Amino acid sequence: MTFLEALSAGFIMVAQWESIFFLAIGVTIGVVAGAIPGMSATMAVALTLPFTFALQPIFGILLLLGVYKGGIFGGSIPAILIKTPGTPASSATALDGYPMAEQGRAGEALSMSLYASCIADLISNLALIVFAAWLASFALNFGPPEMFTLIVFSLTIIAGVSGDSLVKGIVAASLGLLLATVGLDLIAGSERLTFGSVDMRGGLNFIAVLIGLFALPEIIAYMRKSASADHRVRGMGYSKLKMVDFRRSLKSIFRGSAIGVFLGAIPGIGAAPSAFLSYSEARRASPNRDNFGKGEVEGVAAAEAGNNGVAGATLIPLLSLGIPGDVITAIIIGAFMVHNLTPGPLLFVNNADLVYALFIGLIASSFLLLIIGSVAIRAFRYIADVPSNLLFPGVLVLCIYGVYAVNNSIFDVAVMLVMGVVGYIMLILRFPAAPFLIGFILGPMLENNFRQALLMSRGDLSIFARGPITILFLCMTVISVVLIIRSTVKAARLKRELGAYGEKSAPQGPKT
Amino acid sequence: MLSRRDEFLTGLCVMALGALVLWWIIPTYITTPRRVPILALSPAFWPRIIAWTILGCGLILVLRAALAPAPPDAVADDLSVSRPEGLRLLALGAILIGIFFALPVVGMVWVCMIAYALMVLLSGGKNLGWGMIIAILLPLLLYLFFTKVAGVAIPQGQIVRLP
Repeated sequence: MTFLEALSAGFIMVAQWESIFFLAIGVTIGVVAGAIPGMSATMAVALTLPFTFALQPIFGILLLLGVYKGGIFGGSIPAILIKTPGTPASSATALDGYPMAEQGRAGEALSMSLYASCIADLISNLALIVFAAWLASFALNFGPPEMFTLIVFSLTIIAGVSGDSLVKGIVAASLGLLLATVGLDLIAGSERLTFGSVDMRGGLNFIAVLIGLFALPEIIAYMRKSASADHRVRGMGYSKLKMVDFRRSLKSIFRGSAIGVFLGAIPGIGAAPSAFLSYSEARRASPNRDNFGKGEVEGVAAAEAGNNGVAGATLIPLLSLGIPGDVITAIIIGAFMVHNLTPGPLLFVNNADLVYALFIGLIASSFLLLIIGSVAIRAFRYIADVPSNLLFPGVLVLCIYGVYAVNNSIFDVAVMLVMGVVGYIMLILRFPAAPFLIGFILGPMLENNFRQALLMSRGDLSIFARGPITILFLCMTVISVVLIIRSTVKAARLKRELGAYGEKSAPQGPKT
Repeated sequence: MLSRRDEFLTGLCVMALGALVLWWIIPTYITTPRRVPILALSPAFWPRIIAWTILGCGLILVLRAALAPAPPDAVADDLSVSRPEGLRLLALGAILIGIFFALPVVGMVWVCMIAYALMVLLSGGKNLGWGMIIAILLPLLLYLFFTKVAGVAIPQGQIVRLP
């Protein structure tokens, strides 16, 4: 299928009312979920996933991508109005957004946030269209050794999603990798860690594991505390975004979009570092740098552009290499798997029409976000008022139905419940859940490619350095690991110095 | 951030988990063929590497907790569970276990209705009226969606069956 044929076939796929309908529904769900304090875009995507089973692949995946896009923007609404970022990446938006809301300029901040999000999202989607096909055609030459070294490099993304402790991130990823080995061994055909259970011979269901990990711990944490936070919602104010402010922020929006695209295309970095980098670059370059942190509209624009700039770019490694760019795209892999589609270079060969349909749908999602986002901004007061004690039990019911529907299996519900408890223990002991999921997804790919490569070479390990591609990935892995160790040591030293300073400056009171 | 003591204990637990997997679970629950031509192709090869990694990380956590300066009390997370919190967690645990065992007997719709209502009551019973309405409607709507639209056979149980 030539490029033009694929593009026209993709256009035909999208040019159905259902495509736009499901995309709009997805964006709406995402914006609403992102705007509800306590919900997150990740949880929204995970909970929507089971509802896509009944849909055609294109509709189901567009629905999830809509949730993803909407969720990222939705997180900025509570960040501005109640200083409670809906997503970690929205924290940068709160730096200037909330002071603006305090000054009665919430409407201005929210409008800027929406416009910056839509522009950055559009740029990110265009980058996806330009780079994904090119990268996929390059990746078509990859054999098992290349894939293995690529996945080893991708595993360094764990550092980016490990939060405070890299060691705990590695433990979580190892647990995910271990859980991924459950089932029948592909080469020997023998049972691995099935504990004699027939249900476990096919391995653990991906969706049960991910919903258990990402949705249930929040429910358990809420039920334990059982007290809804007192959110003070700021009014919208009467100020409107002025054209002159928008125009002077455009440079920061484009810069933030470029940062988002670059960081988003590298697996594991995610939206939060991109938003903060974009914000700090805008502050460095802006003539109004002294206003940053006190209610500068350009700060909101930069943070949101950096935040949304990653949304399309994280799909570049997903679609072209089959490697998730962040946690949400890791969940979206599930949607592909449910519909018997395998993200990666072959997707561009076997399902080129679907890929181009997704591209066109993503462009449409930027415009839908503009429309739905402007309505959501006005409706936020009602969205934020959903009582948590009605919301979280509803989430549990959704989880039960959704997980059961994957395989019509009550065993999967049990897996979800157990993973929920595991996820909650990880939450309170500060083990990040994202590396667990990434390990669980990449584990089988890593092991299979390693073993296939060794079968090809009859046990000769030098196959992993057989050509420039494997050597490039190995070098990138080494560089990445060195950088991670350096930054971890630096952070530990800083923490130690701060601790020593804290001990010196702490008042020496009597011990009680 | 956990206190030094909690971090130390967490490290020990991680080490214990690694050791358990390495020396009990892998030998007992992974069947390896008698002759494996290449060591790396053995079904136990990857799990062993992973278990060693867990063990090593546990050791690092223990050493870090023992050697690094303790975080100030104001910064360290408190892991203690108050009595009401403990009771709520126990009740939630009972609900979750109950859900699993009741699903095949009572049916998903009824189990979800009861679980929803119990959770609303457990979280203080605010908005009880709305809670009861949603407890009835949400599982029914989901049942209709999955059964009639998605074609999924939702477990009906043995007591009251829905059309």
